[in-house]
Amino acid sequence: MSDDPFFIGWSPDLHKIDRRFLLLATFGLMAGGGGVAAFLGRQGQPPGPGIWDQSAIAGHSGLLVQTPWPMLRMIGDDGAPQTAFLATTGKLAVRLAANARGWVKVRGSLISRGENRMIAVDDGHWLGASEGIEPPGLRDWPEEDLGAAHLVGEILDAKCWFGAMRPGYGKTHKACATLCAKGGLPLAFCQTGSCGSGVDAPLFLDADGRRHGRDILPFIADRVMAKGRMVRVGDVVQFRVARPDIHRV
Amino acid sequence: MSHDYRVVQWTPFKKTFDLWLGSGIIVFLAAHVASAVFAFPPDQHASEVQLALRASGSCAFALLSLILAIGPAARLSPRFLPLLYNRRHMGVVCFLIALLHGGLVVFWYHGFSGMNPLVSVLVSNSEFHSARGFPFETLGVGALLILFVMAATSHDFWNANLGPGLWKAIHMSVYGAYVLIVGHVMLGAAQGDEGFAWALAVGISAALVMGLHLGAGVLEARRGALMRRIVAEGWLRVGAALDIPDTRARVVSPPKGERIAVFRDGDRIHAISNVCRHQGGPLGEGRIVDGSITCPWHGFQYRPEDGCSPPPYSERVATYRTRIQNGIVFVHPEALPLGTGPGPTLIGGASPAPSDCSGEVRDV
Ligand code: FES
Repeated sequence: MSDDPFFIGWSPDLHKIDRRFLLLATFGLMAGGGGVAAFLGRQGQPPGPGIWDQSAIAGHSGLLVQTPWPMLRMIGDDGAPQTAFLATTGKLAVRLAANARGWVKVRGSLISRGENRMIAVDDGHWLGASEGIEPPGLRDWPEEDLGAAHLVGEILDAKCWFGAMRPGYGKTHKACATLCAKGGLPLAFCQTGSCGSGVDAPLFLDADGRRHGRDILPFIADRVMAKGRMVRVGDVVQFRVARPDIHRV
Repeated sequence: MSHDYRVVQWTPFKKTFDLWLGSGIIVFLAAHVASAVFAFPPDQHASEVQLALRASGSCAFALLSLILAIGPAARLSPRFLPLLYNRRHMGVVCFLIALLHGGLVVFWYHGFSGMNPLVSVLVSNSEFHSARGFPFETLGVGALLILFVMAATSHDFWNANLGPGLWKAIHMSVYGAYVLIVGHVMLGAAQGDEGFAWALAVGISAALVMGLHLGAGVLEARRGALMRRIVAEGWLRVGAALDIPDTRARVVSPPKGERIAVFRDGDRIHAISNVCRHQGGPLGEGRIVDGSITCPWHGFQYRPEDGCSPPPYSERVATYRTRIQNGIVFVHPEALPLGTGPGPTLIGGASPAPSDCSGEVRDV
């Protein structure tokens, strides 16, 4: 026993194991570890008020639009036009025929955060003709310039931030957000301090109101300073920024 | 190349240790998840995968910090030795928890897209030149690979077949893994609006680990100086007390005079002349039988404490003073008068009083 090389250090015939000390040390470590864990668990990003019930699949009638990202213009409960972006259940954009547009019905589950909405379309035949009649006013997209904006914050993938992930922003989420962006999902922008629990995040577009190219990818999920204009298009607010006006801070 | 390899034995102590280790990990993970759930309104809690992902990441880092703290702690106080001798179990568990963390990250953040998730981990971000945008995941992957190699070679089988030198060198890479993980957190979770607590926790852990190593280093340096002083006083270094097999001896050669056999009898250390009074047999190759040092040649016996043969015999060999400093045995080459003994030196305790051939305890 005592010549066993593995146990020789504490073999009972050499050193009496200080059981009292070890027990105290063990309880101390467990209490300390539990305390540290409880402290760390509370830290980090608030998950935010996003909701996505994947089992609640329903049909949504609306006007299908493909730019800047596929979206459905619907009439909300209050009678006002309301936009819901479209996505697959994964990190890819929906595939639409080039001429797909008009009054349609989309099957999918709703992802929502505040007034922000996205429909994760169902597998299979998720797009069909709507049996209802298109209400008037959905094709009016009044554009209103809200003025210049110089903001510090984060370029988000809208789907995760709306509620597909909780939390769905920040450095740890960068790879996921980049995959979503590469997959063609909408981008948005949250201001530092409000990414966690806030509900406002304008769409993030180039100076002309179009999607940014792949050169935007390295900036996603990093803290950036962006200088551009806020524009309201229908019920959607857009933050339009030229690529050279985005700087990592 | 190799030495004897024996299958690791499960002792009650090891089982108890693993039980406590498992309980500690469960407490850590449960506290992490519970506090994260209760920190926010019920309809705003993090997704289950992200809760598990964060808790396992924190747990792996805390466990690795603890593992690295045990080494210097055991040098500062031998009371931590039982933890040291079971540290490998912690290492393997640490790897498994880190693997869980990595697996969840790959599944959750890199899955559900058109790209292979494992490829995505390596190519999704190439901002190596930016501290803000740095692909911190790659550091985690590096650390996980090191932990894997260590866990895979942790068994004594590998120690025996790779040789202690190479094995030790491989396992020293744990410090590289730790540095990578510190970078992984600092360039990852610690960034952003809510990252301060992570930076603080990692900073304190790293400072503790470094502080302990520094403290142990200073102590080692002092011990080294003390050892040199002891040797300068004429004492001869024998070796680690625990390296002398029980009831056996290690033989040292003084500059002049007879060789000295230093015996261990349980937790007692004795030194007597290596030369048997019968025909000069090597007493140091004998062993302690029934409390007496027994010559390997013809079985003459001597009491370890005073060098006297037990009654009715009257042979006597010289004894020598011993001392133990930080687990290292020293013997003084000056023989004591025949028939007297200095009293044994106890491993890890005060030494009993010296005695002589009559068996009487003498005043010092
Ligand atoms: S030489 Fe030691 S017993 Fe004979």
